Amino acid sequence: MKIDHSLPLEYSTEQSRLRILGFWIFLGAEIMLFATLFASYFILRNGTGDGPSGAEIFEITPVLIETLLLLTSSFTIGLAVHAMRLGNKKAMMAFFGITLVLGLAFLGVEIYEFAHYVHVGAGLQTSAFTAILLTTLGTHGAHVTFGLFWGLFILIQVKKSGLTPETTNKSFIFSLYWHFLDVVWIFIFSFVYLKGMM
Amino acid sequence: MMKELFPRKQVMGFVFSLVLTAVALLVYFMDMSFAVGMTILLVTAFIQAGLQLILFMHAGESEDKNAIYISIYYGMIIAIFTILGSLLTMVWTYQIQ
Amino acid sequence: MEFFERFAIPHPSPAIYASMVAIGLVTIAIIFGLTYFKKWGYLWREWLTTVDHKRLGIMYLISAILMLFRGGADAIMMRAQLAAPENKLLDAQHYNEIFTTHGVVMILFMAMPFIIGFMNFVVPLQIGARDVAFPRLNALSFWLFFAGAMLFNISFVIGGSPDAGWTSYFPLADNEFSQSVGTNYYMIAIQIAGLGTLMTGINFMTTILKMRAPGMTLMKMPMFTWSALIANVIIVFAFPVLTVALAMGTLDRLFGTHFFASTNGGMDMLWANLFWVWGHPEVYILILPAFGIYSEVISTFARRNLYGYKSMVASMVIISLLSFLVWVHHFFTMGQGALVNSIFSITTMAIAVPTGVKIFNWLFTLYKGKIEVTTPMLYSMLFIPLFTIGGVTGVMLGMSAADYQYHNTMFLVAHFHMVIIPGVVFAMLAALFYYWPKMFGFMLNEKLGKLGAWVIAIGTLLAFMPMFFSGLDGQARRMYTYSESSGFGIWNMISFVGALGLAIGFALIVYNIYYSFRYASRDIGSDPWDARTLEWATHTPVPEYNFATMPQIESVEPFWDDKKNGKKLFKDKIEKIHMPNNTGIPFIMGVLFFIWGFSFIFAMWIPLIIFTLAIFGCMAYQSFENDHGRYISVEEVEETENKLGGKR
Repeated sequence: MKIDHSLPLEYSTEQSRLRILGFWIFLGAEIMLFATLFASYFILRNGTGDGPSGAEIFEITPVLIETLLLLTSSFTIGLAVHAMRLGNKKAMMAFFGITLVLGLAFLGVEIYEFAHYVHVGAGLQTSAFTAILLTTLGTHGAHVTFGLFWGLFILIQVKKSGLTPETTNKSFIFSLYWHFLDVVWIFIFSFVYLKGMM
Repeated sequence: MMKELFPRKQVMGFVFSLVLTAVALLVYFMDMSFAVGMTILLVTAFIQAGLQLILFMHAGESEDKNAIYISIYYGMIIAIFTILGSLLTMVWTYQIQ
Repeated sequence: MEFFERFAIPHPSPAIYASMVAIGLVTIAIIFGLTYFKKWGYLWREWLTTVDHKRLGIMYLISAILMLFRGGADAIMMRAQLAAPENKLLDAQHYNEIFTTHGVVMILFMAMPFIIGFMNFVVPLQIGARDVAFPRLNALSFWLFFAGAMLFNISFVIGGSPDAGWTSYFPLADNEFSQSVGTNYYMIAIQIAGLGTLMTGINFMTTILKMRAPGMTLMKMPMFTWSALIANVIIVFAFPVLTVALAMGTLDRLFGTHFFASTNGGMDMLWANLFWVWGHPEVYILILPAFGIYSEVISTFARRNLYGYKSMVASMVIISLLSFLVWVHHFFTMGQGALVNSIFSITTMAIAVPTGVKIFNWLFTLYKGKIEVTTPMLYSMLFIPLFTIGGVTGVMLGMSAADYQYHNTMFLVAHFHMVIIPGVVFAMLAALFYYWPKMFGFMLNEKLGKLGAWVIAIGTLLAFMPMFFSGLDGQARRMYTYSESSGFGIWNMISFVGALGLAIGFALIVYNIYYSFRYASRDIGSDPWDARTLEWATHTPVPEYNFATMPQIESVEPFWDDKKNGKKLFKDKIEKIHMPNNTGIPFIMGVLFFIWGFSFIFAMWIPLIIFTLAIFGCMAYQSFENDHGRYISVEEVEETENKLGGKR
């Protein structure tokens, strides 16, 4: 394995550069995945049937908490990558850990939110609107859940083998994924919640 | 030490993203027309996305930046066409008629 | 007993029971044969765990050919049923099931693997790479495709086939109207195969963008690689739409949601909308690599460089964008009004322009070329006029006002078969003949090959031209029979004869493979066609590392310049070569996905959860695995090179 020392550690091998570009392309595909969900959401938004509409069930407080948690976690994963580039393993792991904790908190609030929706009679089977709402949020939430496990595995590997070309590459790619989930959330926040409550 | 771990650029970026979120919240707390509200949401959301992409995700830092930008922009363009086209076909056309 | 009742066939017939027995016997025969000849170890080591793009390519091709015969058998049954008015060979339900499976199998499990198979085999060789960017992911792609294909294929003997058409429109595909598990098979099997295809798209985009030989700029890439790049871009951005649509369909059928229902705010035509947002780009995923093959074949056998390289590239880039902007033309009759229809009519007709540019480029390449009519070339030259028939009828269908007459008639069926068969199938057959010597070290018989090409071309015309007439006369597609007084009888009889012709043509190809395997010369060198691009510059059979040293590229036709103009391709000394290790995980994940999908289809929740966890377990295992591949030493490379006739 040839290591190019002029680049940050996560870019230092040919294979790691391939992985980073490949992941960016994957994110391109993810854009279309969420775009399809958004398109379906906008089309089915008024398909409330006998169920409630968005304005009737959305609550601003949990949504705001979720947004702040995710925005902050996106900031801390950025700091983790920064610390990683400084070669500071301890700080990197701390920021990475904080990111995962914030992610977990986000997930907790989202689970509360889902329980609330079901409680007020907006379950998956209620109407086309509630179904697409829960599917869109759920797809994002499933991504976060997957990210939590993935991030945990990477954190374990960093702890075990330190900042190597492999672990830094994995961490960097994880940071791309996490930032992307934040971007998706911004669109959900703006065009599902705020527009729905406007 | 702390200064080193909290680079100015990223801290400013974070603060800016909080400001954008606050601006977007205006549509909830203030009365405004649909057009104004949508404009605010579109502008704040896309600036936020760009902020993440360029500042936090370092999209432009490697030798592959062209490939990265092309695939992201391509994805966004197709995404916007898909959303608008679907809405036009499935919703708006019946409202016009 | 109640548990097993769900696996019963809802609409059985003697033919299905016979198929069950046949499937059972073949499975036993395969297991017995592998055991008797002690080939289990060989199968596992050399094929099931391989990550070599060439072997994966060959496995894709074998699957594609198997599926061609499965889909072909369906086609013959359909044509036989329709050959005479009020025929009683099949009943309506069987006819529905057969045209549904025919469509899905031919598009997703025949054409797609055929194309991806050639991409796998050819692209790394054409760009001078040792493998694809992510060889293990590539193996996983194949096994996911294969799991999906097998899952779909067992539907007719376990639980019942899907019967709502390959487009599976709601509300017909809803639980209310499709009560068997057939449509669940559709949703889940295509989902699994689609995930594999999406990974292929990411993998090949990365490979082509990052792993080209030194000196090969984008504008020096061979045309097939260009077409593969564009096709993979479309895959990456189109397949997620299918993923979401299928997931929503699955939720509707298994979890009681109302996305596509006509009650509780659902919108049935949203399915059609999403399906075609994916479906139309899918058409170009199929046709662009086919165009790439024709470009390679035509330039090789016209013995000159491809005319209009830049316009070829430009037209493909334009097609890739336009292909996402035309989907509504598949449902002009939905009632969305003149404005929307006009917009999509215009984009549809616009897409004919770049396609026309390509046709003229091929014609200009032939013009003043020294044409040598080999089998691949014969397919390419038959393609141009036949495909043009399909193309111009497409423009007819693209006129939204006129489409009200053509919609859902045999005219449409004739159109897309005249596009897909001369466009994609001929290209795949041309590629099969063209790359066969590189893959297997002997050539297919030219005489039999050309005979097959003519029989297939005439069969295509006989089978599909009559449908234009009966369609204009009002014969609806997907109807299992028609009355004698309609007068459609004669057209359908001709079609049946054409279908038999196609069957004979494909049988000739199979016989050709057998005949050539027995009798063809093995002494053909590494460049039997006197070709122009890099894949012919390495040995036959291709060593696992593809090229002992990296070629230095200076033009679009580096190998031709090496041969004729003395520009040396290989200048470096041999160094040790890094290669990835084989792995069993992709195959295991394929098996897990198969059982996962099967549990999902029959709503068996406990196995579903277990296998979901097992799949994530595999992913976690891979995350922790530390495998840096292996090196092939200089001595080993030199030994292989000498055995194959010396280093180049």
